This record gives sequence, structure tokens and C-alpha cells, in this order.
Amino acid sequence: MNASSLPPDPEGQSSRSDARNEAISGRETGISGGRETGISGGRETEAAHLVELITLCSRGHEEAFAELYDRTSQRIYGIILRVLRSPDHAAEVMQEVYVEVWRQSARYSREKGSVIAWMTTMAHRRAVDRVRSVSSEVARDERYAVHGGDREIDQVWDGVEQRLDVERVRRGMASLTPIQREALTLAYFGGYTQSQVAQLLKLPLGTVKTRIRDGLIGLRDALGVEA
Amino acid sequence: MSEIHGAVGSYVMNALDPDELEEFEAHLAVCPTCTREVQEFAETAAELSLLASATPPPPELRGSILTAISEVRPLPPEPAETKPAERSPRTAQTVPAERPVDELALRRQQRRTRILSVLVAAVVAAALALGGVVYGLVQARQAQVAQQAAETELLTAPDVQTYAATMKDGGQISFVVSRSLNRAMFIGKDLPAVGADQTYQLWTLEGQSAIPDNLVAGGGDRKEFFRETLSGVTGLAVSIENASGAQQPNPSTIQVVTELSS
Repeated sequence: MNASSLPPDPEGQSSRSDARNEAISGRETGISGGRETGISGGRETEAAHLVELITLCSRGHEEAFAELYDRTSQRIYGIILRVLRSPDHAAEVMQEVYVEVWRQSARYSREKGSVIAWMTTMAHRRAVDRVRSVSSEVARDERYAVHGGDREIDQVWDGVEQRLDVERVRRGMASLTPIQREALTLAYFGGYTQSQVAQLLKLPLGTVKTRIRDGLIGLRDALGVEA
Repeated sequence: MSEIHGAVGSYVMNALDPDELEEFEAHLAVCPTCTREVQEFAETAAELSLLASATPPPPELRGSILTAISEVRPLPPEPAETKPAERSPRTAQTVPAERPVDELALRRQQRRTRILSVLVAAVVAAALALGGVVYGLVQARQAQVAQQAAETELLTAPDVQTYAATMKDGGQISFVVSRSLNRAMFIGKDLPAVGADQTYQLWTLEGQSAIPDNLVAGGGDRKEFFRETLSGVTGLAVSIENASGAQQPNPSTIQVVTELSS
């Protein structure tokens, strides 16, 4: 799940592809858009570059959008698929999200936070909205039953474990209490409402609400994330 | 801190039910503290999403999306939204700050505006009256999905342990146990059929006492979570009982007893 996971090389589509290739070749992980997940200085550089790209998108530059896609698609697809489970539904939501990013590109502003947070928020919200419709829950159940949950999860975790940033986030998650971690995982990756999380964990709603918020505070502080 | 502030985490996790969402967004529009926290948590959630990103999107999706956007015109900028310094209180009330404005957000905003001018209780009562049946169906589906998430949680728990055993009647079973999650699941592979008025019953053991747990039908592949958590539990057992279950296991029909490591 390494080098083979790179998206098709858009070489020749734009002069920006050189910069993109350079960014990727600097990393061994083979994650699309490499530096988007980079640590420390690399992350800031990447964040600033994504702002440039989204600005170009707002003026209709399709090649900038292609680069934005290459730099973010693995991450955005990852969260959508994790919530929805079904690759078919994930592909549909992925298309919705990126078309929306293109449409809304002029509405993004730095004051709202990073481009990746803006996109991730949009992607997660749409994935969750879809999973809460009855039809997609059926779809998710069926797909899940066909593939078997544990195998899929194992693959996912094997693939991400090599990555430094992932380790950082995992360490952050590990610093939380078990209930905070469970509540966050069920809400974010499971796509459950806080009421459903409360049922699953057999805890009062108020407790779950607090644990989710405390978990985010703990994770935020552990990661040193600045808004 | 008032209770409404406490929902900020669930809001960013998209974990609020529709009525909770309306209530919180109405609050968010007038609360700079929550607005700030929403923004910070959105960055944290973006980092959290890294834990999910091992699977690359299908290669053909790229072309399909690039084709799709070539037929869509980007929206023009929205002056009031781009510079927070210019955001008037009125703007802040009509557009939830710091959230991407997309169609969904607009729908939510419309809902919220409506809710501010209508009696909440009346709306909810009417919706329940009309939607009760559908809601019931949705709840049933959600219970299924919840079960699967719980399974995933258990199977991926760092301390997950599997105890395989053969029951007295020949059935091959496993208990999957996580002390950190405090949960256990029973898995039966191609279980023998039991009598028409009989059932398998799960038990948690605390020292010498057995606490009745969930029932599992005979025949076929079965999996069932233990209802009880594992606090104080030293072992797990399965017996065959009358169809309605028992309060004490029938000693002659106990199928398997497994001691758990603590």
C-alpha cells in the first residue's frame, strides 16, 4: 500500500506538477500529496500551498484543482470510506465533496482555518449525512458483511502504521482516557450521533457529550494544533 | 459553563441529532467562545482523519471528478464571509461562523431560522406524530450498524484476546474479550441445533456466581455481545436452557466454561 498508492501522474498537465513530484519524491511513504501530512515546518508550507491552490481554483484554474486533488484525495477519501464502509458510496460522496470544494473555493478564507480542515469538515459531514439515511445504512451493512470487518480494518491499520504523522495522532489518542478515545472513535469514524454513542457505551448522554469534548481538547493539546 | 457549550465537541464530530444541531447552531451564532473552539476542533478532527487514510481512492475517480468540475462554475466570493472584522452581528446570526457554507449548511441555517420563530415543542410533536413509524425503522437500522461498530471496536482493541473452545455438544466457539473496552463477544461457528424450546445462554462468572446474559439461538453461525461488562468477571460460560432463559445455569447442560486472564 505504498508507492503503488500514488495517484496517476498528471505530468504535462501543468507546470505545477514538477513541484508536486518533488514534494512526493522527498518522502518514502508514497502518500499522495506527501507534504500535506508532513510534520512541523513541512506542514505549514503545505498548508500555505493549499491556500494558493484553492485561490487559483476560485479563479477557475482547473490544473490547480487537479493538484489540490492529488495532494488531498487520499486523506479525504480515507475518512469518507472509513465512515461509509462502502466504496461505491464513498466514491459518490467523494465526487460531491470535490465538486463542492471547487464551487465554494471563493468562499474559503484563511480566517476559517486551514484548507485541509475546511475540506475534511465538509467530507466528514457529508459522509455522516449519508450514513444516517436508511438506504445507505443498509448498503453499509451489506458491504460490511460481505467483506468482513476485521480484515478490512487490519489492512487499514497496517498501511498507516508506518507514517510518522499517524503515529503522532495515535500517540495523542493514546494519551486520552479509554472512554474519551472510544467516544471520539465511535463519533468520528463510526459516524454515530452522541445519543447512539451513549447507547453503545451504556453511558448517560451528558457524560458522552463531555467525554467527546474533553477528548478533543486532550487531542488538540497533545497534537499542539493551532487553529 | 452552560450545558449548551458542552455540545461543541459533538458538533464538530457531526454527532448531534437534528434538534440538538438546531439548538447548538443558534447558540454558536452568538457565542465567540464556541466559535473559536469549533475552529480549533476542526483542525484537530482533520488530524484525526489521518488515522483513516490508508486506502487510496480508485484511480478512475480522479478523471471523473476533473470532468465534473469542468462543467461547474465556481461561485463568486461572498464579501460578508471573507473578512471576520467586517462581520456584523446580523451576519453572524444568519450564517454560522467558521463553517464551510455549502448547500447543507444553508439548509441547516434555514431550519435554524425557522426554529427561532416557531414553537419548538409544536414542531417536534408534529414530526413525531407523522414520522413515528419511519423513525422506528431507522432506529432498528441504527441498532444494527451500532452492533457492527461495536464489533469493529472490539476486534481492533489493543488488548483483544480470543479464547477458542469446543462445547460439550461439539460446537466450535470463541470468546473475544477486551479488558480495556470491558466487553466480550461470543462467536459460534456452525453451532449444533438445539431443541425447538431450547436456547444457548451466555453467562458471566464472578468467582462462584453466574450472572445470566444474552441468549443465542442454536444452529448456524452466531455472534452475540455479552450484555454485562467485564468488571469483576473471572470467566465466561455457555449452557443450554429453556427458550426463555434461566436465572441459574442448569449444571447438566453447561456446555463450556472458560476462565479469563485478568
